[in-house]
Order: sequence, then structure tokens, then C-alpha cells
Amino acid sequence: MRETKGQKIFKVFNYTFLGLLGLVTFYPFWYVLIASLNTGRDFMRGGVWLFPREFTLENYAKAFADDRIGPSLQISVAATLIILVVGLLFTALAAYAMCVKTLPGRTFLNFFWYFTTLFGGGIVPYYMVLRSMGLTSSFWLYVIPSVYSFYNFVLLRTNFAGIPYELRESAQLDGASEWTIMTRIYIPLSKPILATLALFIGVGKWNDWFTAAYYQSKAALYPAATVLQRILAEASAGSQVKVGQETASAAMTTYTSQSLQMAFVMILTMPIVVVYPFLQKYYVKGVMVGSVKG
Amino acid sequence: MGGKNTGVVLTPEQKAHNRKRLMTEIWKHRMLYLFMVPCVVWLLIFCYAPMTGIVLAFKNYRFDLGIFGSEWAGLKHFRNFMTSPEFWTTTKNTLIISLLKIAICFPAPIILALLLNEVRAKKFKSLVQTMSYLPNFVSWAVVVTLLTAIFSPYGGLYNDIRKSMGLEAIFVMGERSAFYPLVIFSDMWKNVGWSSIVFLSAITGVDQGLYEAATIDGANRWQCTWHVTLPGIAATIGIMFIMRMGGILSADMDQLLLLQQPANLPISQVLDTYVLQTGIKYGKFEYATAIGLVKSVISLAMVTLTNFLTQKYAEVGLW
Repeated sequence: MRETKGQKIFKVFNYTFLGLLGLVTFYPFWYVLIASLNTGRDFMRGGVWLFPREFTLENYAKAFADDRIGPSLQISVAATLIILVVGLLFTALAAYAMCVKTLPGRTFLNFFWYFTTLFGGGIVPYYMVLRSMGLTSSFWLYVIPSVYSFYNFVLLRTNFAGIPYELRESAQLDGASEWTIMTRIYIPLSKPILATLALFIGVGKWNDWFTAAYYQSKAALYPAATVLQRILAEASAGSQVKVGQETASAAMTTYTSQSLQMAFVMILTMPIVVVYPFLQKYYVKGVMVGSVKG
Repeated sequence: MGGKNTGVVLTPEQKAHNRKRLMTEIWKHRMLYLFMVPCVVWLLIFCYAPMTGIVLAFKNYRFDLGIFGSEWAGLKHFRNFMTSPEFWTTTKNTLIISLLKIAICFPAPIILALLLNEVRAKKFKSLVQTMSYLPNFVSWAVVVTLLTAIFSPYGGLYNDIRKSMGLEAIFVMGERSAFYPLVIFSDMWKNVGWSSIVFLSAITGVDQGLYEAATIDGANRWQCTWHVTLPGIAATIGIMFIMRMGGILSADMDQLLLLQQPANLPISQVLDTYVLQTGIKYGKFEYATAIGLVKSVISLAMVTLTNFLTQKYAEVGLW
């Protein structure tokens, strides 16, 4: 079939538009990367758009050595790893139990899970629960309240329900326990969805600045994303004054609060950028399953 | 089980027998109940317990007496909120931001999905997709830091361009008139790619035979899109729209909190951020709970209403 003139014009427009969209999406990451690799003082003169002008790794060294950023990264890593294990395990256990059709009380339990998505207590009663449990001054604030999420639960249950029920029945005849059936049959058959969930849970935890910013009373326990938000807030509150001071004392240092911030942003983004392409084929499928059947 | 027994009068022996059978069934599944315990306990603590905390909205809270021991205040907190100037400003701001997002950010991923669907070069298509999904995975804190860097008056790209055009550098992030564009732009940047996945997968599900039939009838590409693809994904669009309407009173708190500046507060303070500010920061627990309650009741009503309307006029619904 030959293309008409209109179709050709559309094709050119479409490819240009989508190409530009890709560029616009990607460029800010590139911009931060070169800003983090350029000396801060030089960067403030402007004009660093495509490549670093005065290359340096000092910003990264300073960021890792910073007495707020360093510990906060450790907290983020610890919280992300723990929640990955605990969250996946508990969600898998509940999802497996809920897809056994003979379970007495299954209808009621279904409603018990579902009702929480329709109605909630709101922020303040939730905060008071956290406070009464002593979580608002503890590291476990980042783990215990995020163990479960309805979305993850439904995604996994839908996937488990798609596994032929006969597999379970025949394993039971062979005398396999529920734990064996789950870990030997259901989990291995759900690897793609588990990879997707791991990505969602891990990325969500790594990126969460809100929980600590509003519920955590000990600033020493802030995770990296919250520290970034705090630095951002402080910088914008005193931006005029601070930058003025920095230019005055510029003879002593070559990095600025901004270049430090850029290095910090890269440190926060890198793990995601590295993991993301490997899991892409899984999570796109995961999103579709969730949206079609969830 | 219940269906079999209707209309038949059971003797006490049969009842006892049924109960015994149920107990053995439950005992047989004891491991599965054990499996559920962690999540059930979690839900009771973090979802159901806060629901009972709603009574706070009707109380004068005193720390020493606890939520249930404190005395009743009736609808005082609701009245206070409804008559305060914040009621109008926060509701208005929430609705303006939400409606702007629904008008601009809701159709965008649909258009993107339609455009991507027209691309035949596979490599190019997957490259654009990979790029556009990426921002979904970074924190809002990172996104706003990126914006701040690009719009910074000191070496930021935007002001560099302004200067080279002979204009003066401005502090964009603190500029009140820049608030809505920043909200819309950053929302698009972060979410448009990711949200398009759902529509793209719906497009893949459209029956290919319909396109062939339409082409034989002399339809061009544009007519195919308009008369085959769009009706084919109408159900998905409808469901997404209903869910979006349910969130009309929550205008993405994560993003707004980070973009809030003293200068734009009169237009950036929305219901959610106001609840946070009064409740968690200033400790006016009952007042903030009352606002939160009003919000969730209206949200539930909005979903129900949209569901009713789409079901009536487009035959699409969540339930």
C-alpha cells in the first residue's frame, strides 16, 4: 500500500515529536549528571549545558562524607532491603492463602481486604496510631507500616489464581504441606510478577521522602530522600542570601551547596537507572495484569 | 452451603453435624489462616484502627483522657472549618489544580499511546518508551530538585537562555505565576509515559479484523483511529476516568508539598496539605480529622456519581 502525502507528513511529525519527547524526558537527568561532575563554582557562571567544563569528582566525595547524607544513605539501603524481604514474604503468604478456593470464610475475608480501599481514617488518626506504637521515633517507621499494600496483594493474588488448581491438588495428594506447595510450585511460577513487585516495593521505599518528613521526630533517622527534600527546602528558603555568601567565600572552596545537591541527586537516581532496564519486560506486563484484572 | 439449606428445617443433630464439619474444614486449613495472620494484623492496626480514630472529629481531644475518654464536641470542628476563610481557598485551589490536571494530564497519555501505536520502527518505539517510563521511578524530591536546578538564577539552563536573549534572570520557583505551569509540566514529565502503558495495552487488545474491515470500506488511518481504536479503548478510558474523579480532592500531595513556596501558598495550599499542616505540624488533631473526613466522604460520593454517569451514558463502570 502506497502512502499518501498526508500520511508522510504525519509520519515525519510523529517521529519528530516522539523523538523530542524522549529527549525532553532524558535531558534533565543528563543535565544533573554534568552539573554533578563540574566544579560548583564554575557551574554557577552558567553555560554548562552538554558536557562538564571543569571536570571534578569532588562533589561526590563531599556528598558521601557529608554528616547528613552519608548516614541517611545507609538508612535508605537498610530500609529498602528489609522491606523487600518482609513485604514480599508476607504479601505472598496472604495472597496464597486467599486463592485457595475451599478456605472457609473466604467471602468475608475478601471484603475485609477490599473495604480498606474504599474508606480510610485519614492522616491524623493514622499518625496517632503510629505515635502510640512508638514508631514515630524509630527506624521501624520505614518498615512496619509499608509491609502490605492492597495493590501488591491483588497483583500477586491474580497471578496465583491463574496457576492451574490441579497442580495444588495433586501436590496435596502427594502429602505436600501448604508451605511446600507455595514455595515449590506457586513462587517459582510467579517469578516475573515477583520481580515486578520487588521493583515497585524497592523503588517506593527508596523514593519515599514523605513518611519521615512528617512522621519521624528524630532527624538523625531521616532516609536519603527526606534529607534531599530538607536540603531543597533550606536552599530555597535562603537562596538569595546563601548563594551570595558562597560567591564571597568562593576563594576557599570549589564546590557549592548546589553542586553537592546535584551529586546527591545522582547518587539517589543511579541505583534505579541501573536496575530499571533489566526489569522492564517484567513490570510492563505487571502493570497490564493489574489494570486489566485488578 | 447456605443455598442447600434454605427452606429445610434442620434438626439439632444436623446443625451440630454441620458445625462439626465446618470446624474440621477450618482445622484442615489452619496453616492458611496462619499465613494470613501478619497481613490481617497489619490491616487491623494500620487501616481499621485509624477508622475508629475518626471519632476524634467529634471530640475535644485531651491527651490525658485519650480519644475515647475526651468529651464530645458535636459538629464544632466541622462548623469552624466551613466558616473559616481556608475552607474556600483550599477547596478552590484543590479543584483548580485537579481540573487543570484532568483537562491536560489525563488525555496526554491517551494521545501518546495513539502516537506510539502508529510507530512501525520497533527500536525507536522501545527507546521512546524506555525513556518516557524512567521519570516514574524517581522520587518527587528528585524531580523538584531537577526543576530547581534548571530554573536556578545561578547557572541554571533556563536563565542562561534568558540572559543570552538579553532578559533578566528570574527566580522561577518562587514566582507565583509560574506555579500552575510547573505543576502541570512536572506532572506530565513524570507520569505521561507510565500512564500510557495501560492505554497502549488496551490498543493491542483491539480486534485486528476491525481495521481490515474498515480499510476495505475505504477508511484512512485517521478514520481508523477515530472510529475503531478510540471506541475499542473507551472502556479503559472510562475506568481510568472514574478512578481519576475519585481523586479529584487529592491533588497529588507529594508534588505540591515540594513545590510550595511562601510566595505561592495562596494558590498552592490544597485540602491535603492543609490537613497535614494543621494536624501534624500545629497539632490541631480534631480539626484536621474533621477536614479529612469531609474530604473522604466527598471523594467516595464523586466516584459513585461518576460511576453512575459513565454507566448510564457509556456503559462502563467499576461496579
